[in-house]
Amino acid sequence: MKKIVSSILCGCMAAGLAAGCGEAPGEQQRASLDEGAVSETEKGQESEGIHLKIWHDGDEAIMSTMEKDVNEMLEEEGIRVSFEKKTALTDQLKLYGTDEVNGPDMYFYAHDSLGMLAEMGILAPISDVSDTAALNGELNKMTLEAVEYKDTQYMVPVYFETLLFLYNKGLWEGEVPDSTDELYAYMEAHTDTDAGTYGVVNQHSTAYNVAPFINGFGGFIMDKEGNPGLNQAQTIEAVTYNQKFAALQADGDYNTVTTLFNEGKAAAIIGGPWLVSGIKDAGIDLGIKSLSDFTLPNGKALAPFSGVQGVGVLKQSAESKGDAVEKVLKALASEKVGVDLVVNNNCASANEKVYENSDVAANEMVLNIKKTADTARPMPNIPQMSVMWGPAEAFLAAVNKSNADISAAAEEFQQEAVTAISDIQ
Amino acid sequence: MKKRKIKHSLGLVCLNAVFIIVCFITLVPVLYAFLLSVSDGSSAFAGNLFGSAGHFTLENYKRILTEEPFLLWLKNSVVLSLGTTVLAIGFATTASYAFSRYRFKGRMNILFLLVLLNAFPQILSMFAIFRLFKSFRLLDSNVGLIIVYAGSMCIFSIWNLKGYFDTIPAEIEEASKIDGASDFQMLVRIVLPLARPAIIVTAVMVLIFVWNEYLFATTFLLSGDKYTLAGGLYQLQANDYSRSWSLFTAAAVLVSVPILIIFFCIQKYMVSGLTAGGVKG
Amino acid sequence: MKNRKNAIPWLYSLPAFLLIGIVIVFPIIYTAYISLTNMNLYHWNDFHLIGLGNYKRALLKADSGFLSAVGVTLVWTAVNMGVQMVVAYFIALGLNAEGLKLNRVYKTLLMFPWAMPAYVSILLWKVCMFNTEFGLLNKVVTALGGVKLNYLSENVPAFLACTVLNLWMALPFMIMMIDGALQSVDISLYESAMMEGAGFWQKTFHITLPCIRPIIAPSAIMTVFTTFKQFDIIYLLTKQKGSLTGATLQTIITYAHENAFVSNNYGLSSAVSILIFGIIILFSVFTNRGLREENS
Repeated sequence: MKKIVSSILCGCMAAGLAAGCGEAPGEQQRASLDEGAVSETEKGQESEGIHLKIWHDGDEAIMSTMEKDVNEMLEEEGIRVSFEKKTALTDQLKLYGTDEVNGPDMYFYAHDSLGMLAEMGILAPISDVSDTAALNGELNKMTLEAVEYKDTQYMVPVYFETLLFLYNKGLWEGEVPDSTDELYAYMEAHTDTDAGTYGVVNQHSTAYNVAPFINGFGGFIMDKEGNPGLNQAQTIEAVTYNQKFAALQADGDYNTVTTLFNEGKAAAIIGGPWLVSGIKDAGIDLGIKSLSDFTLPNGKALAPFSGVQGVGVLKQSAESKGDAVEKVLKALASEKVGVDLVVNNNCASANEKVYENSDVAANEMVLNIKKTADTARPMPNIPQMSVMWGPAEAFLAAVNKSNADISAAAEEFQQEAVTAISDIQ
Repeated sequence: MKKRKIKHSLGLVCLNAVFIIVCFITLVPVLYAFLLSVSDGSSAFAGNLFGSAGHFTLENYKRILTEEPFLLWLKNSVVLSLGTTVLAIGFATTASYAFSRYRFKGRMNILFLLVLLNAFPQILSMFAIFRLFKSFRLLDSNVGLIIVYAGSMCIFSIWNLKGYFDTIPAEIEEASKIDGASDFQMLVRIVLPLARPAIIVTAVMVLIFVWNEYLFATTFLLSGDKYTLAGGLYQLQANDYSRSWSLFTAAAVLVSVPILIIFFCIQKYMVSGLTAGGVKG
Repeated sequence: MKNRKNAIPWLYSLPAFLLIGIVIVFPIIYTAYISLTNMNLYHWNDFHLIGLGNYKRALLKADSGFLSAVGVTLVWTAVNMGVQMVVAYFIALGLNAEGLKLNRVYKTLLMFPWAMPAYVSILLWKVCMFNTEFGLLNKVVTALGGVKLNYLSENVPAFLACTVLNLWMALPFMIMMIDGALQSVDISLYESAMMEGAGFWQKTFHITLPCIRPIIAPSAIMTVFTTFKQFDIIYLLTKQKGSLTGATLQTIITYAHENAFVSNNYGLSSAVSILIFGIIILFSVFTNRGLREENS
């Protein structure tokens, strides 16, 4: 009998524990439900309008410029957008891309992951929600090319970026040269690794930052059909050429090179417009030169990748909120947003009409990016590219940091890239 | 006798010296981070080892406390870690007591199975849990995360507590059984106080796990104001655009301080109840 | 009557098992299921069962690189566990020395590395210690008149760097466990040993270690697994996207990450996960032998 009683008591204890422990989270749930209810009603009172969520993984200042403009333009229509930051955006989209409850309506990101997301079937073609001919009218050709995957447009380009030659006017001696050989001579004369002072720094083992050399030499990281080109003769030539630069550019890590430049330990850096706010904070008198103004030994200009930042639409909201989505896309492609992005954030707008504006014409940064865009190549946007960065950077790191034999490393990582690409299927 | 005393205090002096050195070595990265966090810009970085550490400023701490929803994140962290700790320790205590005291079929096999299950890398589980929670609408909720965290730490807690329960002599319980105490009373009145150090240690571990976890937090919670400290900080630093090392190190120091305070406070409770009362008495 | 009695431990364990079922068992089963499907980029939402094809591919991929990754993982686990246990033991012993008044302060300070989120510690070390330009190590080296070193560009130094960092991060836990265990050792045992004139090492091997072994064993074994499947340190320190350091150190987990997970081919990477799980089970057969003895 005693045993029966005790066993019942035990059961009670377990249940009690379960109930007792469950209480705390239960309360929270209620609390959060209440909160949810409150904000729902608030929204309801505010307007009958539609709220669109846009996920991004970029600079908050840029996003708030766009958010503010779009909300002003669409206030009367009762449409409100909010830009929400999500780290590891593509990973999050893989999970939440088809989640109507928690997922976003649109996303704002670089164009190079487009193919991957499109193949997953979570993106809607822009033509599903809007007449693309009208929408694209004022937009730059190169950017439109970049956002097309398999002859379908999946994004509306908003602004684009390329690498630039950024230099510290207070440190740079003389004129900035026009050829890479002269640049190297300058680096040799002005680099003292023991003292920690450098002529020009670059993320020398990051594929994106070496691409100007590779593309300029006529090599490629990956061609349009998705074939890796690490063992191409021209790629190897470019990497060999870049190697001697790398030896004078510290360890080439993002944190290292930006800090070196911002602290006045490096006279110049090859970097993108995203570095500018940090440079301004550091109080540096910044000079800018387009990479396409540097010629390689073969007579061609450095040809960086261009990255197009644009907005894509998720399938579920294209179906349920198509009209509102269209209006937001139009607003984001508009001249007003373009001008504000240039003036407030130094972003090179994809809208061609923007460049007729006098404020824009005075923006050295943006004009240099725009100029570089003529020789720049849009990053490939095919899904294969997502596995290509890894082998390409491993190749560069092996050559620049571990003194590997270039041709052998090229073959090794070419093979690795081929395997990685076959693994996608 | 006097000689021995001198020898003993000399030993203590040496020991103290050793510990000061060990602590210093341990704290070097943290001290360096702290130095960075109270200097403006990242000048401490580029400076020499002994010079130009930048000007002293609390600006970075101020910025974190005012510009980021730090206090909100702190609250979320507290809620999540307390919820998880209560749930995980509550469940694990009863389970580990059962595994320690009862002899039943499959007992050892289950214990080993648990160890094996724990070996499955948790990062690989993310996708499956996501699918499951999506159908139960547990995404973007604290309850969901507490379940994930408690489940992740459950096996560890069971093993840890069981190990300690095993060291408590069964005679103590039998004595109280003769006094007419039920299993339940016995567990609460006798076993739990005896196992206090183990329970506290295990609870602290669960707490720290939740406090420092960021992958599930940033994946399963969707809005910035629901993030935990670790998750919010991760979001802050993961951005190449605005990475500021002095800001980051300030946040790192701030995140660690609450745990250290807890540590300092619980230490007096961590003296074993076993040696203090049980066996000797 | 008998049946009821048998049910008691199960009742006690039920809530815990429920949790474990949701968070650990279900994902393993689900991963096993996905490993039998063709879920990848091109079949994201419309995947279907394709049988054992993914396992065949995963096994074909297991080349010499994989074998060396297994080797590195074993060395990594052995080195880290060995050093960790010994160092933690002596520190804990010191903390328990009679008359050490400041032990609470020391203990708290020593716990600092543990109080930081893992990725914060790793980034902190990467930038503040190992960085070639701003790292404290190189600042000391140059202050002493040496040449700047790169700690992460070759495999052996990178392995050591990762080990040091892992020890820094893992030691607080071990110290705390051993410290707790030491306090449960019955002091009277030492007293009688003193009478018999036993020395430090005799006491260590005949009293302290046997006494704390059952308490330490579970956490030691858990730590073995944590060390075995450690990913963050090696990945963030040497392989973070955009800042590869040149070292090509691979453990099983980083190998799998690089060779299967970046591809977004969930079918294939699930098969790899299940195979790794198999390896861990094999590995644990050996460690379990120790546990079984402990519990028999």
